[in-house]
Amino acid sequence: MTHIVTDNCRLCRFTDCVTVCPVECFHADEERSYIDPEVCIDCGACVPVCPVKAIYDAADMPEDLDRWVAVNAERSAILPRVTAKQPELPTAAARRAELGY
Amino acid sequence: MSTHANEIRTVRGACPQDCPDTCAFLYHVKDGKLVEVTGDPNHPMTCGRLCVKLKSFAEHHYHPDRLLHPMRRAGPKGTGQFERISWNEALAEIKDRWTDIIERYGSQAIMPHAYLGHQGTLNGLTSGDAFFNRLGATVAEKTYCESGSSTAWIMTVGPTGGLDVESLAYSRYIIVWAMNMVSTNQHAWPFILDAQKQGAKVVVIDPVRNRTAKQADWHIPIRPGTDAALALAMMNVIIAEDLVDHDYVEKYTLGFEDLKRRAAQFPPGRVADITGIPAEHIRTLAREYATTQPSAIRQGVALERSHGGGDAIRAITALPALVGAWRHVGGGTVEMPIWEFPTNFDAICRPDWIKPGTRVVNELDLGLALTGGLELDPPIKSLFVYNSNPVSQALEQGKTIEGLLRDDLFTVVSELFITDTARYADILLPATMQAEQYDLMVTWGHLYMMLNQPAIDPPGECIPNVELFRRLAKTMGLDDPYWNMTDDEMLQAFYDWDSPQLQGITLDLLKERGWMRLNVGAPDKRAPHAEGHFKTPSGKCEFSASAAKDGNFVVAVWRSMYEDRQPGNPVDPVPDYLPPYESPLSDPERARLYPLSFISSKAHSFLNSQYANEPVHQRRQGEQTVMMHPDDAAARGIEDGSYVRVFNDRGSFEARAVVSDDIMPGVTTANLGYWPSHNRSGTSVNAVSAGGRHATLGQAGAFCDNLVEVAQV
Repeated sequence: MTHIVTDNCRLCRFTDCVTVCPVECFHADEERSYIDPEVCIDCGACVPVCPVKAIYDAADMPEDLDRWVAVNAERSAILPRVTAKQPELPTAAARRAELGY
Repeated sequence: MSTHANEIRTVRGACPQDCPDTCAFLYHVKDGKLVEVTGDPNHPMTCGRLCVKLKSFAEHHYHPDRLLHPMRRAGPKGTGQFERISWNEALAEIKDRWTDIIERYGSQAIMPHAYLGHQGTLNGLTSGDAFFNRLGATVAEKTYCESGSSTAWIMTVGPTGGLDVESLAYSRYIIVWAMNMVSTNQHAWPFILDAQKQGAKVVVIDPVRNRTAKQADWHIPIRPGTDAALALAMMNVIIAEDLVDHDYVEKYTLGFEDLKRRAAQFPPGRVADITGIPAEHIRTLAREYATTQPSAIRQGVALERSHGGGDAIRAITALPALVGAWRHVGGGTVEMPIWEFPTNFDAICRPDWIKPGTRVVNELDLGLALTGGLELDPPIKSLFVYNSNPVSQALEQGKTIEGLLRDDLFTVVSELFITDTARYADILLPATMQAEQYDLMVTWGHLYMMLNQPAIDPPGECIPNVELFRRLAKTMGLDDPYWNMTDDEMLQAFYDWDSPQLQGITLDLLKERGWMRLNVGAPDKRAPHAEGHFKTPSGKCEFSASAAKDGNFVVAVWRSMYEDRQPGNPVDPVPDYLPPYESPLSDPERARLYPLSFISSKAHSFLNSQYANEPVHQRRQGEQTVMMHPDDAAARGIEDGSYVRVFNDRGSFEARAVVSDDIMPGVTTANLGYWPSHNRSGTSVNAVSAGGRHATLGQAGAFCDNLVEVAQV
């Protein structure tokens, strides 16, 4: 089991998650962040700090988000680790408003 | 703590579990219901993060299977059939049965069985000690975990807190030895990541490439139970290549020449054959460890779980003094810092109430003790179980169950749930969960006093252990002032509040703040043994231990503070390598039948056997598995994901095979904590472990010292 970053992160990438992760399991590209399932310890510290509720515990994630399991595994394996908060994407405020948070 | 506009009240608490991290909690309560438990973000060690085991802790309080009322057995033993009775009926039955047993057999026919199912001063490990000491019961030696480490640590450096885990942030070379930290010491791991970012090298020594090993710069697989040989080989290299801090050794250690002679017997070539680690890797490890200061070792309790486990811990604990690592902030070794806390265990346990000559029975031998294997006179006629689940956790599961099935055994179990042990009870008593009770936590992994305050009312008729023993004492006619003390009066008496460590810390302040750091220096300044000051008889780090003269002993806190009837078997003053009881090298004949070493380890989502009955944790953890190397699987025609039987002459359990080169060839491993009744075979890992023998120091359980065979089901 692991935690999963889902679509809400796209165009936001607030990266508050990386500031609380005790095992530094986040990776990111230009668009969003991903969790390395081999490293995530399921503590869930990242879930409440995400401003757009993008992160789910795979153990109780809605089924329609299942595809993100593979995306997180594949992308985290090839992208660099992010261990400190990054500036959010320029599109973040608009995207957050669109998501209703 | 405060009331918000949305009517959610927060109350400060602390995690009750047997874990080194003891997290600072915030209970969130609405309309008398616990709606959420979160971490306190301001706590410097636990930083507001809970672990996977505790993150649904609020819901755990409302688990539909909670035991809420006293119950009496209403069917054959072990079938789990109970009927509700009142507290008065339960206490009256206990009094009748115990009075009869005491008249006919004497009070030592009653044995308590407890461990760290709760970790509080009032409700934890020692919560029943005063009662059972006063009653005259058999003294139960509670050595499930840490006892071997405690004996080894105290023999070598005395009761010192050692290196603070928070100081690991300042280390330059960190060895995590036999501990899967990201699963079992999660809140210390970020300090290691901080050090790693500053250039520190992180080495993990473990038979399994576990979650922690995967994050290390270097994982060194080692055959189970051979850690002392590796530590002695490191000393061999350090001494041969003159990487010793001679000034430190001269001033602050005892017995260097003896240690040098012992280490000379362990050249890397010989130890490569014992441990499975190439000689060149041993040399590299020794050189890097000695020369990259400050160097630190985070020791795991797993080290103690084989025949020579205690000596492994003595040898490893000697390493920092040999290379002068203690001189530096971030140098030394972390074992269990509990010794910094000025706890007055004599006031808690009242060893003065123990009648001279009272016998001691080790809890890990429970199955043997109940089935005639220990020739006890009088036999055990009543067992009182609290804070523990021996059917799951004790050695040699088959014997434990056989004993609990005895019709003439009167068994009382105080529990949160009807566990696999509680199923065998004659009387069940309902216990409170952490948000429902008050306690000052006993912390063994960091240096903070942690107060847990009740946030909600107990459900049903649940009571805290401290109240349980007050009621039992009064039921049994004991009228000592001890049984009339309030919780706060007890806590005042149970700590030395005038000690330097507690200067400025009071119960009232703890009620306000939840937690306070001991006055033992800040993590970025603290170097407790920079100039010796070890707490041994000589004041030095004792490579040759003066405490060995009286033979093996269990540190008194693990045996109700009783100092009589210690095991006393001879102990070499200088640490040595004692081969496992069971390994292909040490018992080739047995290995012909059972060729694979087997070790059990902590599950990521369970806390020993706790939470293994929570559906969400069961989903995360998955069913019982056993990991084996592809070569061993292929030799047996076993495919990944198939069901296998793990067995030896003591018993068996079934599990799904995980075939992976994350484990060494010849070694198998499975997680402990699964309730046997939840497994497909009705048994679990301790079905194959051996009772009746212990690690040579501190009567630790040899849980990881087994040979087994594995076959397709």
